[in-house]
Parts: sequence; structure tokens; C-alpha cells
Amino acid sequence: MGRFAIRRLIGMVAVLFAVSVIVFLVFNVIPSSDPAHRMAGRAASPRLIASINQEWGFDDPLPQQYLTMMEKVFSGELISYFGRENVDERILEGIPATFSLCAGAAVIWLFFGLLFGYLSAMKAGGPLDRALTIAAVAGLSMPIPFLAAIFLNYLTYKTEIFPSGEYVDLTANPLEWANHLVVPWITLAILYVGFYSRVLRSNMLDAMNEDYVRTARAKGLSERRVIRRHVLRNSLVPIVTLFGLDVGALLGGAIVVEGLFNVNGIGQYAYESLKNLDLPPIMAITLFGAFFIVLFNALVDVAYAWLDPRIRLGTSAQ
Amino acid sequence: MRKLGLVLLVLGLVATSALGLSACGGSSSGKEGGMLVGTYASFPSYLDPALSYEVEGWTAMYDTYLPLLTYAHANGGAGSKVVPALAESMPKISNGGKTYTLTLRKGLEYSDGTPVRASDFKSSIERMFKLNSAGSGFYEGIVGAEKFAETKAGGIPGIKTNDKTGRIEIDLAAPRGTFSNELAMLYAAVLPSGTPAKNMTNDPPPATGPYMITKVEAGRSWSYARNPHWAKSNSQISEVPSGHVDKIEIKVVSNDSTQVNEIERGKADWMQTPISADLYNKVKDRYEGTQFRVERPINFYLFWMNTERPPFDDLKVRQAVNYAIDPAALERIYAGSLVAMHQILPEGMPGHEPFNLYPHNMVKAKQLIEEANPSDRNVTVWTDNESPNDEAGAYYEGVLNELGFNAKLKTINGEGYYPLVGNESTPDLDTGWLAFYEDYPHPNDFLQLLFSGESIAPTSNTNFSRFDDPKVTAKIKQLDEEPLGAKQESEYAALDKEIMEQAPIAPYGTNTVSTFVSSAVNLDGVVFNPTFGQDLTSFEFK
Amino acid sequence: MASETNGEVTPAVAGSPWRLAWRRLRRNGVALAFLGLFGLIVVFCLAAPLWASEVAHTGPNKSHTLKKLHVGGEEREVVNREGKPIGPQWLEAGGRFFLGADGRLGRDEMVRLMYGGRTSLAIGFAAAALTTILGTLLGLLAGYYGGWSDTLISRVMDVIWAFPVTLLAISLGLALAVGGLQIGPLQLSGSSVWITILIIGGVYVPYMARPIRGEVLALREKEFVEAAEAQGAAPARIMLKELLPNLSSTIIVFFALNVANAMLLEALLSFLGVGVQPPNGSWGTMLSSGLDLLSSAPMLTYLPGTMILLTVLAVNVFADGLRDAFDPKSRLRIEAHSGLSAAESIEGIAP
Repeated sequence: MGRFAIRRLIGMVAVLFAVSVIVFLVFNVIPSSDPAHRMAGRAASPRLIASINQEWGFDDPLPQQYLTMMEKVFSGELISYFGRENVDERILEGIPATFSLCAGAAVIWLFFGLLFGYLSAMKAGGPLDRALTIAAVAGLSMPIPFLAAIFLNYLTYKTEIFPSGEYVDLTANPLEWANHLVVPWITLAILYVGFYSRVLRSNMLDAMNEDYVRTARAKGLSERRVIRRHVLRNSLVPIVTLFGLDVGALLGGAIVVEGLFNVNGIGQYAYESLKNLDLPPIMAITLFGAFFIVLFNALVDVAYAWLDPRIRLGTSAQ
Repeated sequence: MRKLGLVLLVLGLVATSALGLSACGGSSSGKEGGMLVGTYASFPSYLDPALSYEVEGWTAMYDTYLPLLTYAHANGGAGSKVVPALAESMPKISNGGKTYTLTLRKGLEYSDGTPVRASDFKSSIERMFKLNSAGSGFYEGIVGAEKFAETKAGGIPGIKTNDKTGRIEIDLAAPRGTFSNELAMLYAAVLPSGTPAKNMTNDPPPATGPYMITKVEAGRSWSYARNPHWAKSNSQISEVPSGHVDKIEIKVVSNDSTQVNEIERGKADWMQTPISADLYNKVKDRYEGTQFRVERPINFYLFWMNTERPPFDDLKVRQAVNYAIDPAALERIYAGSLVAMHQILPEGMPGHEPFNLYPHNMVKAKQLIEEANPSDRNVTVWTDNESPNDEAGAYYEGVLNELGFNAKLKTINGEGYYPLVGNESTPDLDTGWLAFYEDYPHPNDFLQLLFSGESIAPTSNTNFSRFDDPKVTAKIKQLDEEPLGAKQESEYAALDKEIMEQAPIAPYGTNTVSTFVSSAVNLDGVVFNPTFGQDLTSFEFK
Repeated sequence: MASETNGEVTPAVAGSPWRLAWRRLRRNGVALAFLGLFGLIVVFCLAAPLWASEVAHTGPNKSHTLKKLHVGGEEREVVNREGKPIGPQWLEAGGRFFLGADGRLGRDEMVRLMYGGRTSLAIGFAAAALTTILGTLLGLLAGYYGGWSDTLISRVMDVIWAFPVTLLAISLGLALAVGGLQIGPLQLSGSSVWITILIIGGVYVPYMARPIRGEVLALREKEFVEAAEAQGAAPARIMLKELLPNLSSTIIVFFALNVANAMLLEALLSFLGVGVQPPNGSWGTMLSSGLDLLSSAPMLTYLPGTMILLTVLAVNVFADGLRDAFDPKSRLRIEAHSGLSAAESIEGIAP
């Protein structure tokens, strides 16, 4: 187990290294991203450009610039090109908002996804099932900017049911915190609710046909106990792995939702940095996001092995 | 008898205090105090006066960090006048325009109580160079400044100060007619000598103006309170008003529809962001005169044409473009916020005398093209991707196609646009869109950057048309060396016309912005300075 | 063995898997209905040149800012002085500006919607094809050969997978939008639609390669493969003749899902300005410019948004139906999303 863990760890570090190199190269290749000229402003003398190049090390060979940047990422001294802010500090400040958004959305989609999936499976084939399926697929198919626009237009501007964006600290005012986040939560969760409900539904339907379930029924166990003990537990295993992977990748969705709803978190910082072609924040945020993805991938693998009795018992069924 | 005396005394006191109050209160009978809530669409790049190169930052710091000189806190043309701030009076210019002498007022203090010293000015300028600020170019003319900028050591010998007398003497390498304007820019704001040479946005230095910044939440908001040392020591600066509201809070609200919404509902009092085309007319129709007012900053929008390459190396082609552009179409594209104009120096800029050499005439335009008969008809049109500039670019592409060219539009992501079109190694730099905003209201700012042959540079080029007429270049240089007076203004106006006769660009208008306030704020009292935007000291509640 | 599909019991019938699938599909009314919807949308978009030349008499990029329409005696400005575009004219102007003007440039919204759909659909299909082909190829190679080629391919997939999809796509879009792409003799200009196709197609490859690899791993152990190997068949032949047919149902379903995902990602990227570049238009770019005018002309947002929604919905529902038809058991579902196939996880933790 230990050797496996170390191997996995080395793999994770290798992946993160590759990610950082790719980001670095991509943004140094863009013709118009030359930061020195943009920092120097309109009437820039060659002298100013030279000074900026020297101060920021833009004259150094690329590998050296890369190493310096990586060093600064981890020592907390990374400064953004435009706005000259401390990137790591800004990311730390944005964590509460982003975490609130992602955690809240995850809770919502998990709850509703499982609820709808359960109902669909129990009433399989009936009108409720069909309605929920259509709703689920519709949620999957919705382009986020469109949804955000509709919500903003009807829930915020025309009426005043929900306020717009602006993260309010949970500790400062819990009610306002939730009030400002409801619409972003729903927007982010809608994509996943549909998916999870359908996965649970099909897993449950399959499980209900398995031999061991029929045996349990034959043994005289009540339907409810059958469902709870056998069907649900086995249906939930893949859900756990999915959830782990989705949460890991949530930063991507957060970027768009935060940007549209003005939730001042890491996602919005990423959104602005991308618009500004500001490499230091983009690098730090990408690594931050990649770290979570890689971490959750690993956790999911571990959890999957632990939860699935077939694996635990070492049988290799097909 | 004594009773009458008492009554008279009381009346006299009441009268005097009423007069006193109204004198302080400015142009209206609004109430003093209160907290103003403002919104910005994005956090300014910097809240550090030495680094801020955008109007958003200038608006935020106009009343907080004062330089030796400032711009008059007035609307329109009056706001373009340079007046003394921390200095006692306007500079004495001697030595053929190469030496500027000023005296610091006595008794000035920062918001933390420390006294303002003459040597603080020198260290503030040196700090700006140490920071490699985008503004350093304006001060490179000071003797020894370039060397200091390179080495960052040894101080700037061209600035000599005396803390006892408050005397400041600045020596320039060559006469510079725009230097007073440059001394009034925020880059030259005086900060305490010990201020570290790093971005102080999150930890604002002490203020010299009526308002000081009390709290900054990076990316989200910042707040002001009255500077206690303003009333105590600095209010001797009569050119800078003391302000009506007690506190100001600015929040970042990225969506301008949300901003408009908040002002309509009274949750915010003012929005710095110009209202987008979507809501502009609705807001204008509903609130003009009561909460909404159109403002004219000094800028102009144009299409530049590369005079070094065909087809725009031919005067007739360039003039044809000028004739072909239809102001009516562009008016619609800018949803009514654009004011049409067809010259270089816009209204509000000294030296502006209105004229239009090329009134819209498509027939004449096509005729000129026929006469010119350019052989190279492939044209690349550049524009940035922010609406409605990209639409202006698309319109221009359509016009060129109508004139018989094969025009292709290239849209560039906003931030990368200027470096890309300013880089001569970029292929196919034929023509494109440009929005030119002033650094300060002096005609040289527009003319030198855009039309002086000396401004053509391989990178960070500002003379996009690559216009190189030795006579024009010489004239621009000559006028730059003279301080701005009535004679110079009329010569600038003539130069404007002379350049437009060669039509290196096709200017099409000035973009307006707007002041939109909540119903609680007195709209008439709000002062909009063409360079710095809305003046925070002019906001007052009804 | 009887199986359950949507709560119905289907009697076991002998016949090739393809015929069984076809029969199940035919019985799925909902899936067929949505396939029909998709077909209608495709026809709508294909009709673009016809509509443009016969009815609207204008192209999708031609602006008419100053044009005036003469309708029933009155004169209407396509774009009024305040920049407000004209609303839907339906048939009043002979079909011109059927859905109104698209904004301050006064382009025909109906024509743009049709042409934009062509772009969005084309990108969706091309990107999905790219993902499917590359994903299948890489999954096959990694799963069949194992060893260092598996390690190499899986590592590369891991790296792409580690990027938050949106970040990667946006970054690449930004990078390539200006300078374009130049690999050897291949040169693409920054505004070429192919760049968007390459980015979207590439970004989703790991999400397909992994499940395919998992399936290949499982299939490889089966007798018919071992038999073929024992007979001395070349690996390429085995992959082509033995493995690929068994993967075909997975591939088909994945392709449909990829189309849906690709269209959504294209809409997002174009919305952010790093997807389709002007003058090309897609539903994503139309959504972006429509949002600028949400207050004054909401139709300009709802039209492209609804088109994207309906199209992706149709594809998703039909993909669902395909999945049900091929494999009423849901193994494909998990694989499609997580990239961990049941087989892969049973083998041990994915390396």
C-alpha cells in the first residue's frame, strides 16, 4: 500500500509539473501577450521597456523565467503583471466565496439528484419518471450563459427576488450569504442534478433485477428493506466516484458562474486574469484547480477500491 | 434698548453664519454629510497615484493625493485649466523654458499628521521611476532623470529642493510646454519620502486631499473618510473644495445593468461606469435632467490609415475614406452616446476650432477612388473586440468594401490590441480602429503621439498612420517648447486643419460618458472634470 | 434473460445485437421524436443559403445600419437613431428581417441564426468526430498494447484531464485566436474555425480514451481475442476485426454525447470571445452579442440560446435512446462520465 501511495504521489507531482509547463508555454507564445509593452503604457520609451524587462526578468531565457515563477508560486511571492498584486494572497481571499459556491452547489445537486433519481427508479415507466427524465436532460443541455441571463433578467432586474452577485461573508451575515448565492448555486447545480438523477435511476433499476435482490425478496424481506439494504447501497457506489471526480473539476464551472454573477471568488479572479492575459494568476489558479482534480482522482480511486466489496475481496470478475 | 441690541446681535450672528455656510457649501443648499455609495464595474488597476494610468484610478484619487499643481475643479473647458495645489502659485518659468520654480505652501500636513516637505516631491518622482511606472515617460525630460531611471541610484540631480524655505527647482534638458500639465498629473502626487517603492494599492499612503482612503478590499471595494488634516492645515488650498459628504464607499459591481438597477432603487448613489448602449437611452429618457447628465471627456475615435503602404499611401484614397464615413451610421452604432466630429482636437481641448473638411459624400468618395485607382485592393481592418468598437470596425469594413476594396476584419482581444497594432512586425497593418483618450488637456498630447514623425517606433508605436511630414513634425516640436497661450492655441487649430488636409486618419466622433446618480443626490452640483471624471468633493445629498 | 427498459419487460429474442438495438430504438417514441426535432433543426440551418438569397436578399454579415424598410406605406428604420434594432417583421417586409435586426449593425437575425447554426453544428460534429476518432485510437492502443505505450498515453491523458476543462479551452482559445497555429506545413489563421474545432475536439479526448481503454482491457482477456492472437493475427487486424466491432455501440453513443458537449463548449467559448471569431458567427457569438442588448432587444438573446438548448437537448435525448437500445444495462453511463469502467476498476486501481 505504501509503495503504491508513493508511486501515486510521484505521478501526481509529474502531472502538475506538466500542467505548469503547458500553461507557461501557451502564454508565452501568444503574440499580443507581451507584458512589458502593456505595462509600459502608451508613450513608452525603449528605456522604460528595458527597465521593466530587467525588473521582471522578461529578458531571461524561458526556462529560467519558468523556474523563477514556480519558485514564487510556492513561496507566496508571486506578483501579477497587471495590478501588481500578490497572487497567492488574492487566491486565499477568494477561497471562502468559491468554496461557498461550490459546496453549496454540490449539496444541492447531490440532494436533488439523488431524490429525483430515487423517485424515478421507484416509479419507473410512469409519468413522473418521464417528466423527471426530460427535466434532467434539459438541465444537462442548458448553456450556462443563457441560463444566467434568464435568471438575472427575471429574478434580479425585473423583480427583485434575489440580489445580484457580490459575495457576502458567511460569518458577517448568514442570511445574506445564502441570499446572494442561491441563484449561482442553482445555475451551477442544474447541469449535474439531471445527470446524477439518471445515473442513480439506472443503477437502481439494474440492481433491482440482480440475483441477490431476488433472493432477498424470496427470503421474505420487505420491499423497503430490500431497497435500502441492497439496492441503494450498491447503486450509490458509482455515485460516490462520480461525485469525487465532479467536485474535483468544479473550478472550471465556477469560473464562468462567478464571472457572470459577480461572486468575488477565485473563479472571478481567473475570469479577469484571462481577459487581461495576466500569466501569474492564471498559472497559480490553474495549478490550484489541477491540484484538486488530481487529488480527488486519487481519493476516488482509493474510495472505489475500499467501497466495492468485489475489489476488496480481491475477486476479478468481468 | 438692550433687548433690541440683543436681537440685532442674534440676527447678525444668524446672518453671518448663514453666509458662512453658504460660502462653504458651494453652489447649492444641499445638506452636508452623509455617506455616498458608488459603484465601479471593475477594480482600478492601481490605487497608487504613481502607478495609475487609467481614468478609473484618477477619478478615485483626484481628491486624495494632490500634486504641486492640479486641474481646476470645474466643468467643461474650465476644468482643463492648471491651478496651484500644494504649491503656493503657478510655477515661475525661466531659463528659456527649462527651469520651473515653485514654492510649497507652509503648514501642509498628510492625513497621518506628518508635515509635507519639499523633498517629498523629489522622492515621489524618484519613487515613480523606481516603480517603472507607465507615467515615467512624462518626466524623463528632467535633467538626470533618464540616468536615474536606468540605474535607480544617485537621485535626480535636476530636482533641487529646500525643506526650510519650501522651494522646489526643476531643471529640464530642453524646454517643454506641457510640463505644467504633467506636474498636475497624479503621477507627480506628493507622498511621504519613506513610502516604499512597491504597489501600495492595498495599503494606501497618507493623503493630502480632502478625502483619505481608509480601507481597501482588493478587487472588491474601498472606502473614504474625511481627511482630518485637510480641515486643519490643508484647506488653505482654495482651488480644491472640501467636499460635502463625510464618507464614501465604492463597491465593484461588474454588471452595468446591476449598477443601473441599484441606482434606480437607491441602493447606490453613483456609478462611475459609463452606461452601456443597452440601457443608455432608457435611462436617458427617463432621468435626463433629474438624475442623468451627459458629460464630455476629451477623447476622439478614429480610423487610422497606414500612409506608408498601398492603398493608403495615396492621398486621394485617404480623403475618399473620410468622405465615405457616414456619421449617421456611427451614431447608431454607438447608440446615441457618440458626438460626431471630424477633426483631431475635440471640444474641450484648448486649440479646438470646429471644422469639417470632408462632409459625408459617398459619390465624391467613389469618384476619388476612381481617380486614384489603387492597384492593391486587399485591406486588413483591425479592431478590438469590445462592443461597440468591433461593430464600428465591421461598419468600416463594409464601407471599404463598398468603395471597391477587399476588406477583411481582424478582431483582437481588448488588452492585446494596442501592443499588437503598435508593433511594426505585425503583418498587414493597413488600417484600423482607435480610441484616443487624453493624458492631459494639452493639444501636444494628441498631436505629438499621433502625428509627429519622431513618434514612429518599432514597438509601442503611437503614430499608427506612420505619418511623417517634416514640416508638421517641426511645428509640433516648436509649439511644444512654448507655454500654452492664445497665440499657441490658434496655431494648434491651424495645425489641426493642416494635418486633416493630408487625411492620415478618419476621425468620426467623441464618445460621451454620463453622470447617473440616485434621486437623493443633487445632480446639478456634480462637477465633471474632463480629465479626472466626476469630482468626489462635488457630491452632496439633497 | 429478460431485461428491463424503462420499466417494461422485453422478452428475450434471438437475433444480431444490431437488429435488437434497432428494434428497441424503434419502439422508443421519445427518442425518435427528438431525432426528428434534430433533423428539423439541421434542415433549418441547411436552408440558410436558400433563405438568404430568395427571401431575405442579404448575407449573414451584411450590415444595414442605415436602411429603411417600406412596409405598408410607412417607413421603418432598421436601426433607429438611438441604436435600437427593429423587431421581428415576420412576413410584413416580404420575409426580410423576419426575426428582426441583430443589433446596431442591422444584420438580418433570421439569416444569421441559420448561418450561425451551420457553424455551431459543423463545429459540434467535427469536434465530436475528432474526439471520437482520437479517443478510440488512443484507447485501443493503450488498452491493447499495454506496457510503455499505455503508460505514455495514459500519462498524457492524465495531464489534459488535470486541467479544468474551461481554463484549458479558454487559454488555448486566447493563445491561438490571434496568431493562429503553425505546425510544419499546416497553417491556420487565428480566425479559422478549425482552431476552435481542434481545441474542443482535443480537450475531450481523455474523457473518451479512458473508458475505451477500460473496455479494451476487459475485451482483451476474452477467448476470441486470445484465439485470434494464437492464430498469429497482426495486432492491427485484431484491433480492427475483433475489438472495434465490440466497441462500436460504445463509440456510437459516445459520439452522440460528444456532439452535445462540443456544442455546449463552443457556445461557451464563443460567448467569451475565444471561440468562433468574427466575421464568422455561431449561436455562441450571437448569444454574447445578444446579451449586450438584453434590455432593449431580448429576442436577440433568447433566439440563439433556445436554439442551442433545443439542439443539445435533442442530441442528448437521442443519445439516451441509443444507449437504451444498445445496452439496457447501464454500464456505459458510468464509463461515459467518469472514465472509470467497471472492468478497469476491478483490475485494480487505475495506474
